[in-house]
Amino acid sequence: MKIEMELNGRAVTHEIDPGANLLSVLRGMGQFSVKLGCETGDCGSCTVLLDGEPVNSCVVAAARTHSHKVTTLEGLLGDPLMKELQQELVDKGAVQCGYCSPGILISLYAHFRAGNELTDHHLREALTGNLCRCTGYVKPLEAALTVAQNQQGGPDEQGGAS
Amino acid sequence: MWELKEYRFAATAQEAGALRRQGPGKGAYIAGGTDMYLQPVDCDFVVDINNAGLSDIARTPAGDLFLGAATTLHNIATNPLVADFAEGMLIQAASHCGNRPVRSTATVGGNLCHALPSADMAPVLLALDATCYIADEESQESVPLADFFVSPRVTVLDDRLLVGLALPAEAATRRCASYKLTRSAEDISLVQVVVALGVENGKIETARIALGAVAPVPMRAVLAEAQLVGQSVADISLDLVADAAAIAAGECEPRDDHRASAEYRRDMVRVLTRRQIMKALHDETTITKDSGGTVA
Repeated sequence: MKIEMELNGRAVTHEIDPGANLLSVLRGMGQFSVKLGCETGDCGSCTVLLDGEPVNSCVVAAARTHSHKVTTLEGLLGDPLMKELQQELVDKGAVQCGYCSPGILISLYAHFRAGNELTDHHLREALTGNLCRCTGYVKPLEAALTVAQNQQGGPDEQGGAS
Repeated sequence: MWELKEYRFAATAQEAGALRRQGPGKGAYIAGGTDMYLQPVDCDFVVDINNAGLSDIARTPAGDLFLGAATTLHNIATNPLVADFAEGMLIQAASHCGNRPVRSTATVGGNLCHALPSADMAPVLLALDATCYIADEESQESVPLADFFVSPRVTVLDDRLLVGLALPAEAATRRCASYKLTRSAEDISLVQVVVALGVENGKIETARIALGAVAPVPMRAVLAEAQLVGQSVADISLDLVADAAAIAAGECEPRDDHRASAEYRRDMVRVLTRRQIMKALHDETTITKDSGGTVA
């Protein structure tokens, strides 16, 4: 079947298998930030935005994105908020093998963009569903808290990230 | 890979029913679909109901709460209309289901229609007397959620569509407590207990004790509930609460699986039901410790 979706701001038409998951279709379209991990909706390495909401693309039907907006990390590389999140993950040493990083970045980006509360609790909640087997969970959270502080005009405003 | 011949889109509930019955072959409805990729349903085609106008949350002027079947769990977990209903019990249940990205697409209707014994939204909805609205092309039928589940993975639906759920205004003021016992926060429950007590003039007028993952379908412990009805909140005895919890443990029908043994689950029903009743009774109560037992 043929679907038309808005991928990273561009209208695209793509021929897909009706039962295909979004993960396989996006990788087929060259979106290699979308990582195949568990394929059961547990690990978060395939997280993308569907109409602005973070979803596990391994358990979303690709067909469902017909007439909808899909955003991958590739589509956010020029975004100032994404740049800041990326830089902060690097600065805090929250990136080791990097396999989970796209999912973590997309999850955090969605949380910040939606105007959600940026407390320790809420940022932990935003990171649920992102498993990391090497760095662990403290450093990504520290990075998120630092960006939150910058966003809220803390003492480090326009600090190292620029 | 999920072998599927066709993926159809429905713009209304009526169209969804028509598209499903049109054939050829076997059809199924799909909303979030998060479980469909874990255990693909045996079907030739699916009918997508995500854009069929079934995603609304509304409160009627009388105070009833309506949840569209395709409302996502994230929407429930963050919707202000749900926040003050039954002490936020629905928010608690929805926000403890799966993880954040799963809740973006997983729907309340899908959680119920999949009809697993451990369905995370079932106990709280049972405890708040939810009614299921079921549509087919000619008629709409309403069925109490308590009669919705038939056996694991089987509901009363057949090829009809669950369009939404209604919770009565009366349930909004119930005193509630719930507990989801799991191995990890994102895992499905080993045991789930929700207690909802309707209190009037200091007396328990309605009692609901709903249990998940301890029987072939989500269930209410009606004999245990009966034990609580008519009791005065101020001087209910600890023994009576413990009795009700023991009765609930007797009513459930847990089984062994790789997560827990039946024996463990039954004992946890006893322990957690007792604790949730105590919690639902709040601080107002001065529970009589007539047996010298401990609250925990």
